[in-house]
Amino acid sequence: MLARHAEDLFWLGRYIERAEDTARMLDVTYHNLLESPAVDETTAWRELLEVLYLDATYEGPLHGRAVSAYLVTDRSNPGSVISAVERARDNARGLRDRLSTELWEAINVFYLEVARADFAGNVQDRAYEVFANIKSRCQLINGVAAQTMPRDEGYRFLMLGWLLERAEMTCRLLAVRYARMAASEGQMGFHAWVSVLKSVSAYEAYLKAHDAALNPTHVLEFLLLDKEFPRSVLYCLQQVERVLGMLAGSGEQSPLMRAIGKVRARAEYVDVAAIVGKGLEDFLEGLQREIYEVSDELEDRFFRAGTDLALHSYRWA
Amino acid sequence: MGSFDEVQGPDGVRPHYRLLMDRLEEIGNEDLAMRSRLLDSFFRTLGITFALSGNEAGLERTWPMDLVPRIIPAEEWAHIEEGLVQRVTVLNRFLDDLYTGSQSAIKDGIVPQWLIDSADGYVRDAHGIPVPGGWRCVVSGIDIVRDGDGVYRVLEDNLRVPSGVSYVLENRVAMTRVLPVGFASHRIRPVDHYGASLLRSLRAIAPPMVTDPTVVVLTPGVANSAYFEHAFLARQMGVELVEGRDLLVDDRYVYMRTTRGLKRVHVIYRRVGDEFLDPVAFRQDSLLGVPGLVGAARGGTVTVANAIGNGVADDKGIYPFVPDLVRYYLGEEPILPNVTTYLPWEPDQLEHIISRIDQLVVKPVSESGGYGIVIGTSADDATLAETAESLRANPRGYIAQEVVQLSTHPTLVDGRLQPRHIDLRPFVLSGDGIEVVPGGLTRVALTEGSLIVNSSQGGGSKDTWVLENGKRDAGPTR
Repeated sequence: MLARHAEDLFWLGRYIERAEDTARMLDVTYHNLLESPAVDETTAWRELLEVLYLDATYEGPLHGRAVSAYLVTDRSNPGSVISAVERARDNARGLRDRLSTELWEAINVFYLEVARADFAGNVQDRAYEVFANIKSRCQLINGVAAQTMPRDEGYRFLMLGWLLERAEMTCRLLAVRYARMAASEGQMGFHAWVSVLKSVSAYEAYLKAHDAALNPTHVLEFLLLDKEFPRSVLYCLQQVERVLGMLAGSGEQSPLMRAIGKVRARAEYVDVAAIVGKGLEDFLEGLQREIYEVSDELEDRFFRAGTDLALHSYRWA
Repeated sequence: MGSFDEVQGPDGVRPHYRLLMDRLEEIGNEDLAMRSRLLDSFFRTLGITFALSGNEAGLERTWPMDLVPRIIPAEEWAHIEEGLVQRVTVLNRFLDDLYTGSQSAIKDGIVPQWLIDSADGYVRDAHGIPVPGGWRCVVSGIDIVRDGDGVYRVLEDNLRVPSGVSYVLENRVAMTRVLPVGFASHRIRPVDHYGASLLRSLRAIAPPMVTDPTVVVLTPGVANSAYFEHAFLARQMGVELVEGRDLLVDDRYVYMRTTRGLKRVHVIYRRVGDEFLDPVAFRQDSLLGVPGLVGAARGGTVTVANAIGNGVADDKGIYPFVPDLVRYYLGEEPILPNVTTYLPWEPDQLEHIISRIDQLVVKPVSESGGYGIVIGTSADDATLAETAESLRANPRGYIAQEVVQLSTHPTLVDGRLQPRHIDLRPFVLSGDGIEVVPGGLTRVALTEGSLIVNSSQGGGSKDTWVLENGKRDAGPTR
């Protein structure tokens, strides 16, 4: 398929995942502040911005209304939900002949919703409702894609966008929150762990797999290494490796396959108990770096055909 | 002269419309209006829209289609088809002769050299660019109107990037859903093979020795008003829809960038104007084109369809000479006549035009889409005076024509059937012989009395039914 189409599908997946993660984390932060008065509001919002890589660019006050406006409806913020949805829709328009009609409609309806004049007001007045709606729109798009798209090359690039964004986000969440959580004790620590689990929709799944005691090592293991939970870092990386294997052909020796193999193995064989308290931050940082490398290699491998020729392509003209 | 009505003849409803009109009467206007709303939501849900150029991207309009189909009986269609094949044969010959031949039509004095040189669509760089078989007009849209006597006449030729065929196909699908009873009682020639026919024509003009050519559709991108059609055609043909940035030229070969590396491209069905094809050859300021593409086409490693420079043949100043070109190349009389046209650059004709300016239509030669047209019968004195000035100042910039009172057709407006003016744009495919898609796009001026049918100026469209004859006719080819 056209490299541009593949790249647009990849980013379409990323944008939708980004919108969903942003809405979920906003939701969790709001709830957390309501339920545990001990949590410092300024810290909570700063951390959220940090998880989303927006702490350096955000200049407004650190309270809920301002931060949620910035994260949801601010078009000047390229990482906001509205920016993500608009870009996703732009990509989808260019991919019309590759997307199922149902998938196009799901994306278009989402776009029409966030483009409505009263959307910004609703984010302020009925925040929970709006966040819940953003999440369900993203999940609908995810589900419609799974139900209506043929499992061809295009679908695989869409999946890769989703999976890599998700793996990155979970890593980032753990890296940012870990410092505070490690220092927390008692009730405070408990709530912090619950909020981390909820931030990736993992609370209920965790309780089924373990119990309500919320042992920090278990939580880390769960979010990093669980083989069944679809948002754990290892699960995402294993899926990425599987999909890349299908795209590249199994057994391909390439920088891309080495990059994904390396980061997947690093995650798979880590001894969490051994690095908790010493070295976890380094580990998470390394993991994030290697996930970026996978993205970079993916772009080189699939999206950049002929780039080396472009400069001298009409030398004879 | 009054207008010819497609449905009402001197003796009541014409025979080929009787069945349909009976059905519509049974359904009743109220039900028709309901079905019309259904039609609108059908197009909206599917996102079948067009954007007016210069408009914000958000202002996409649904395609306005009228519920009452236009019917062309088999024998009338046979006449139109024969005339179209004749005309498009000649236009292909003329262009190929001009750009890669001996320019015999000019040498023999059929078309003046200066007129060619001054045509906006004439591209000097296109000289020597070969097109296999000489099929320079793979897709032609020939606009046909019907005068007061019911005679079909060619109003203009569109040989560059004629659009609208996707609506022909979508109109048909929509009609079968919304008005199935109308279909059940008629034998209508199908149109849904268009994608396959287009692909066959494009493959037929691939560079020599290429056995399994790769065809692509080249679009300016999603911001283009006809993007829907570009995507539609790519999907119908099962080929890639590319933008300029997806292609590159290396060592005189054209490639597209795919996830599997570079892939050779042999035929480009381009839906961008000549000037946006190649910034090296045309506009250095354009980011849209593919550097080196024109050179590759000249080298014969890729075929560009429609060919570069076709605009010279659909220039309104060349149009008056097409009947003579038919006689010159084929030794035949034109089957479909032109509309009577006067040439302002001939001094005596200029005086004639100016003395009758309130009875004629004046058209700028380089505009399309109905822009810049002055209809003398309805323009005010100031406009007429201004037009006369323009004619004297720049006679090559205009032509003048007798007003053709386009035929009228019952159309659902404000909940009831009212006569509105229509035209017809049939689509003609060249490459594997010449094939005419049965029917074409019937455009309708929704404003009472208006003669401007262009969708960019508030026109609508109708499904166009060509009736089957007793025996199925494969259609003439040459």
